[in-house]
Amino acid sequence: MSFRRVLAVFAGVLPASLIAVLLFLAVYSWPAVRFNGIGFVTSTSWNLGNTYGSPILRNGVQVLPGAHYGILFLIAGTLLSTVIALLIAVPVGVGAAIFLAEAVPGWMRQWLSFFVELLAAVPSVVFGLWGYAVLVPLLGHFIYPAMGHVLGFIPFLGGSTGSGYGLLTAGIVLSLMIVPLIAATLRDAILAEPMVVRESAAALGATRFEAVWKVVLPGVRKILIGVTILATGRALGETMAVLMVSGNALNYLPPNIYSPISTMAAFIVSQLDSALQDPTGLAVRSLAEVALVLSVISIGVNTLARLVLYRSGLKAGQV
Amino acid sequence: MTAKIAIRNLDFFYGSHQALRGVTLDFPERQVTALIGPSGCGKSTLLRCLNRMYDLYPGQRATGEAMMDGMNIIGPGVDVDLLRSRIGMVFQRPTPFPMSVRENIAFGVRLHERPSRAEMEERVEWALTRAALWDEVKDRLAAPATGLSGGQQQRLCIARTIAVKPEVILLDEPTSALDPISTLKVEELIDELKRDFTIAMVTHNMQQAARVADQVAFFYLGEMVEVADAGTMFTAPREKRTQDYITGRFG
Repeated sequence: MSFRRVLAVFAGVLPASLIAVLLFLAVYSWPAVRFNGIGFVTSTSWNLGNTYGSPILRNGVQVLPGAHYGILFLIAGTLLSTVIALLIAVPVGVGAAIFLAEAVPGWMRQWLSFFVELLAAVPSVVFGLWGYAVLVPLLGHFIYPAMGHVLGFIPFLGGSTGSGYGLLTAGIVLSLMIVPLIAATLRDAILAEPMVVRESAAALGATRFEAVWKVVLPGVRKILIGVTILATGRALGETMAVLMVSGNALNYLPPNIYSPISTMAAFIVSQLDSALQDPTGLAVRSLAEVALVLSVISIGVNTLARLVLYRSGLKAGQV
Repeated sequence: MTAKIAIRNLDFFYGSHQALRGVTLDFPERQVTALIGPSGCGKSTLLRCLNRMYDLYPGQRATGEAMMDGMNIIGPGVDVDLLRSRIGMVFQRPTPFPMSVRENIAFGVRLHERPSRAEMEERVEWALTRAALWDEVKDRLAAPATGLSGGQQQRLCIARTIAVKPEVILLDEPTSALDPISTLKVEELIDELKRDFTIAMVTHNMQQAARVADQVAFFYLGEMVEVADAGTMFTAPREKRTQDYITGRFG
């Protein structure tokens, strides 16, 4: 085999494995898809049924009596925690990027940038452990009660403030994990904007801040959109850190932002053990269907991100 | 002829490198002064002194005097943002901002004034008309400025500068990135603008300097070698270095 062909095989492994994984998920979860129907994504009830009862036949699938699988609460937990993470991470990331690109001298920028990138290299389980040990008690005992007291009149900010495990805590931990991605990418984009653009704004009498905020930043907004969507993909799929701080709620929609939740990724890990108790295997197949839904959402978001980045002329590999 | 800006003994440093040495030069009010000379002679640097553009870069500094209406432009205590509203600048390459044609004009105005919507519309039309661009863009004011042609973009940058109502306009090789027809339009525009504005222009193009300038100053190795009215400069230069440069013997 020629060298070229060897390389072609190596390169071909990647798309082939993606297709293989999706194909596997689709085939493996097929019994669950048939049994659950559309109710899978529109109802909130994860119930294995009577694990001691005799399996019955439904829609051509062997199921336990009383089994029902609806993951609307997981979709809600996943999307809401991601939205909260973005609401925190985008402003902080933009601010950090502007600061790193414009406000600090060169030698200090290198050091600070180094730390920002180190933050991106911290394993997610470490964030989870820190969230569990520090953030949860801190937020649950002090911050959330105070927030509920002061901001309780705003919908979703009032009511029981819980124990510290929940939606907002998950969002905060997620935001910490995606801020470095946004800050580092946007910093590079701001630095890449030609100096003459800043000079043009300055020549009209703009202060340094006005030049960056009103001229440089609009110039990199496509890159900001692209990296935000990539960060969304990261937040949607994050498993371990969320599992450790989200409270692992089962079968209810969060009434407020302090409420325990679960996300699709975390749920697959936390429920695999009990799903294995189902002798018909349908519970495990339904977990695979959760993975399928998560993959479809994540791949959709990522495709959108590549599209936006492609149109802005930035290669996705740079991010 | 009264001088709008009077430069006396101006030195300029990029760190430890001295780029201008003892420059003394007057810019007569409502006239076009062209700065010519080989690359690296300091002519652009001089332009960037007049609106304190060098302030953006630590390590760059100017000493001496550049007096405008009794104020030393390069002295301490100058409100630089206000100065730049009085002395506008157009760059070598068109630099439209990533926003609509209208917003490009409004951007600079809003930095210094709080006009009503109607006043702003009027100002936008006025500036674009003065920059000989109105007829070409009046139907696409809301379109992105980056969609204009290069020549239109440069006239937009001139319009943007005029809109702030400066007294002096600095042009740093304003046509070097343009095609001949766009260049001609910009030159006609400069001729028209000098009725209201004092203009200082850096150019590498001798014909252009001859066509549009009233006064020409020749720079060489950071020194102002010779200044004269355009006719004298191109027919009977005093210095041999000037003559060599103008006739294309070096540069």
